[in-house]
Amino acid sequence: MSSDTLKKRKAKVIRSDGGTPENKRGRAEGEQDVRVYNEEVELEGRDPEQDYVLYKSTCEALAKLMAEIQELKANGAKEGSEEVEERRRQGCVHFVTLKKLNRLAHMRLKKGRDQTHEAKQRVDVLHLQLQNLLYEVMHLQKEIGKCLEFKSQHEEIELVSVDEFLKEAPAEISRPHLTKEDPHQLTLARLDWELEQRKRLAEQYKSSLCSKEKILKGIELKKEYLGSLQPGLQAIMQASLPVQEYLSMPFEHVQKQAEVARHLPPPLYVLFVQANAYGQAFDKNLTVSISGDVDEAKALSRPPEDSQDDESDSDAEEEQQNTKRRRATVGVQLDDKRKEMLKRHPLSLCIDLKCKGVQFYLFCVMHVNLNGVLHLFFYYLMNLNILTVKAKVSTSADLSGAISAGELLNSESLLNCLYASDHGQETPNPGNRYQFDKVGITTFADYVSELGHPYNWVQSLGGLQFFGDAPQTEGAQSSLSASHMEATMKLLRGRLQSRLALHKQFSSLEHSIVPVSSECQHLFPAKVVSRLARWTMMSYQEFMELSFVQHVVKAGLMKETDLFFMATVERGTARLQAAVVLNPRYPEITPLFSLSLLWKGERSGRTDDNLRAMESEVNVFKSELQGPRPGLQLLTNQIQRLCMCLDVYLETESQVSDGSEGPREFPREKMCLRTARGPNRLKPFKYNHPQGFFSHR
Amino acid sequence: MGKLLHMSVFSQSFSPCGRFLAAGNNYGEIAVFSLSAALSPDATDMSQKPILTFTAHEGPVFMLLSTDTHLLSAGNGEISAWSWVELTKRVVLRVVPSICHFVTFIVFQDNSLIVGGGDNNIHIMDMETGIFKSVLQGHTDYIHCLALKEREGEILSGGEDGAVRIWGPITYIFLVINFFLPEECTRPQFGKWISCLATDSDWMLCGGGPSLSLWHLRSMSPTSVFPLAGCQRDAMFYQDMILAVGEGPHVSHCLLGGSVKAQIPCTSPSLNTLALNLSSTEHRVMTVAGSSDQIDVFTNFSYRAFSLSF
Repeated sequence: MSSDTLKKRKAKVIRSDGGTPENKRGRAEGEQDVRVYNEEVELEGRDPEQDYVLYKSTCEALAKLMAEIQELKANGAKEGSEEVEERRRQGCVHFVTLKKLNRLAHMRLKKGRDQTHEAKQRVDVLHLQLQNLLYEVMHLQKEIGKCLEFKSQHEEIELVSVDEFLKEAPAEISRPHLTKEDPHQLTLARLDWELEQRKRLAEQYKSSLCSKEKILKGIELKKEYLGSLQPGLQAIMQASLPVQEYLSMPFEHVQKQAEVARHLPPPLYVLFVQANAYGQAFDKNLTVSISGDVDEAKALSRPPEDSQDDESDSDAEEEQQNTKRRRATVGVQLDDKRKEMLKRHPLSLCIDLKCKGVQFYLFCVMHVNLNGVLHLFFYYLMNLNILTVKAKVSTSADLSGAISAGELLNSESLLNCLYASDHGQETPNPGNRYQFDKVGITTFADYVSELGHPYNWVQSLGGLQFFGDAPQTEGAQSSLSASHMEATMKLLRGRLQSRLALHKQFSSLEHSIVPVSSECQHLFPAKVVSRLARWTMMSYQEFMELSFVQHVVKAGLMKETDLFFMATVERGTARLQAAVVLNPRYPEITPLFSLSLLWKGERSGRTDDNLRAMESEVNVFKSELQGPRPGLQLLTNQIQRLCMCLDVYLETESQVSDGSEGPREFPREKMCLRTARGPNRLKPFKYNHPQGFFSHR
Repeated sequence: MGKLLHMSVFSQSFSPCGRFLAAGNNYGEIAVFSLSAALSPDATDMSQKPILTFTAHEGPVFMLLSTDTHLLSAGNGEISAWSWVELTKRVVLRVVPSICHFVTFIVFQDNSLIVGGGDNNIHIMDMETGIFKSVLQGHTDYIHCLALKEREGEILSGGEDGAVRIWGPITYIFLVINFFLPEECTRPQFGKWISCLATDSDWMLCGGGPSLSLWHLRSMSPTSVFPLAGCQRDAMFYQDMILAVGEGPHVSHCLLGGSVKAQIPCTSPSLNTLALNLSSTEHRVMTVAGSSDQIDVFTNFSYRAFSLSF
């Protein structure tokens, strides 16, 4: 706006300026004498203060004139009177002066404004310049900053230290005369040196790679050569087999076994080693062999990462399947989990114990040699970390005849209680309890017939030791196995022998003949009239129902794992029933007899002190009755003694129930010193040899 | 364990102070029980076990008798004395002559020991010197039991032959009571032996094969016969009652009139010995034992309180 005003004023000025000079020139065209009137020039010469004073005076004069006019007019002066006109003329002059003054004021104002405007313009221009310069300064400063911050790549390269460089680099690179002063040159030189070194090393690397390749090729060749030797060796081994057999040094067989044995799980391996060692050192009749699938065993021992990956994959798959059809597969899943938990290791160990002939004095006539072999199959349950065993007996002679002996060699119960209270029905590993809970197995006993018995001695033989509260010891210990091996093998042998012996004895007992060997004849008188009428086996329930055995039950002297038999001894009208409890550890533990006599009324060991004395006679004196080692005649001798005691009992009974003094049913044949002793008047049941009389103990 | 099953206790005796009980069994062992421990309020299972067990004889210990200082035990052919103070130290009193075979009963009278045994005779032995003073012969079979009539100093003996003999004090002339006559007593199905005798001034109790019967000695006739089923092996007078044990697992309380008041059940199937601890007031108990290893203790005679066991 200021520029517009400026332009207008300028135009005005020019017009006025131009106007005036033109006018003047117009006028003055006729005249060469030009008087140029420039009001502006006049303006500069006038003093504003004076102009103001003039203005004031003019105004006053005008006012005075007017007042005079007024006065005149008031006095009745006529229009156009002289005074009035005079004054009017003066008034007009004054008006003109005022107009000029006004014009001058305006001109001054304009001038002032123009000057200010110009000044302002100049200031603006300068200001703009200043801004530009400042901006440039800032820009330059930034650039300088950037330049200063610039890190060239060369600083990232680890260069050799300066001293080393100066030492090592050749002169044409290091150029010491230049670089000593100039750090830039120095850095350049160092970079050059670095480059050269790197080039050299790269070449070295290439050459090393080449040589390595060559060497690898050489190794391959040699390997192939060795591989080609293997079949040759095999052929030689095959050829040597007949030689081995001829010399009876079964290296091949042993090697093969050792080879397979490497894949056995640790407890079975311990057992294998210990059994082999024991067999070689002590017992020629013990053989060990490994059976089962070796490939599966190898598969099991693959590194666990693969199987873990597989597991996680299969788990993911399973989960998907689960969410789709949950109800159908829960039971099956549980079954599978159980099967998985109870899985056996594919390899199993078979130990064969040959039993030397058990001699028998059978039917008092002939000696019978009974050879038997006890086959023990050992299995390892991998997830439960226990060993189980299955037993089987094979005999040379035919074991027919004895019905009551059916249970004796039953493979389920043959190894029961080899050590006291080792029933082999529950797993000995306490940690298995938690595993079973996860898959819903309540007792291990359900699976025992299929998987074998986890007896404690089997665990000890495999070096596995389980304590009640303490955590299971890691790994299988062979020292534990070794210490148990001899004892267990002896017990196993003893068990087989005793069972075979019992088997034969039972077949004779069932024929109502009590076999008494010549070594034990001195225990009994020559003539024993009472005879064994029947020998049968009883079940646990049948035994518990008998009335006269309740004292044995109450005293806790029998368990469900024992074998129960009933012997019936008869003489005349008297019938003696004896219930026998046979502990699986016979003959270590004496069979327990309980008696009940049916003769003129029923009496048992509870009601009749003499029957009780007979029980004691038969049950307590194991050392007398067991015969020569290994004491396998204990049972038969006990039965014979029972018959003898019944004889004494019946013959020394003097009372007749109906009061009459008729002839006695059982005449006195035994020689007794006295027939009664003590407050309960016991009979003499002790037989004295060789005098042949009966006395009290 | 089998041994305990076949054990029989034949004899019992209380200590002179009344705090201990000694029992002898058929294996020849004597066990000493502490009654004060077993009867105390804080008794445990262990206090029902013997505090001491030792083997006294080779054969069964048929008789135990307590004097003021010693425990006498009689077994197979020998009598031993044990000091109550030091029970493990044996003082062998006297080995009874071997013809005696075994000793079934001993009784203390003044300073002499009266021994009845298997040789059918009664021997009287002087306690101080250990010499047998005299022998009373007359029985034809072994002697089961002896009883003493203190006032008159008479000895009664009952034997396997079925006779009860009364031996006078000085002259030892006997009087035989024959049991074949009174029909109500005899039980021929059992036999005729006399296994228990007890006297209380004029009255005598005897039983065995024949029924247990109460006799008036002056008139030598039975006044009442007790209808007890089995053969009684031990009986005694107590206040106005008669206590008897024998075959059958109970203690019979009978009244003098001849009726059976009560039969208290016990653990053993048959009982051999009955003992009353009268010398002590705070341990006044009755103990019975027989064909088992348990000795039943009765604090109140009407029921069994607990059992000691070997």
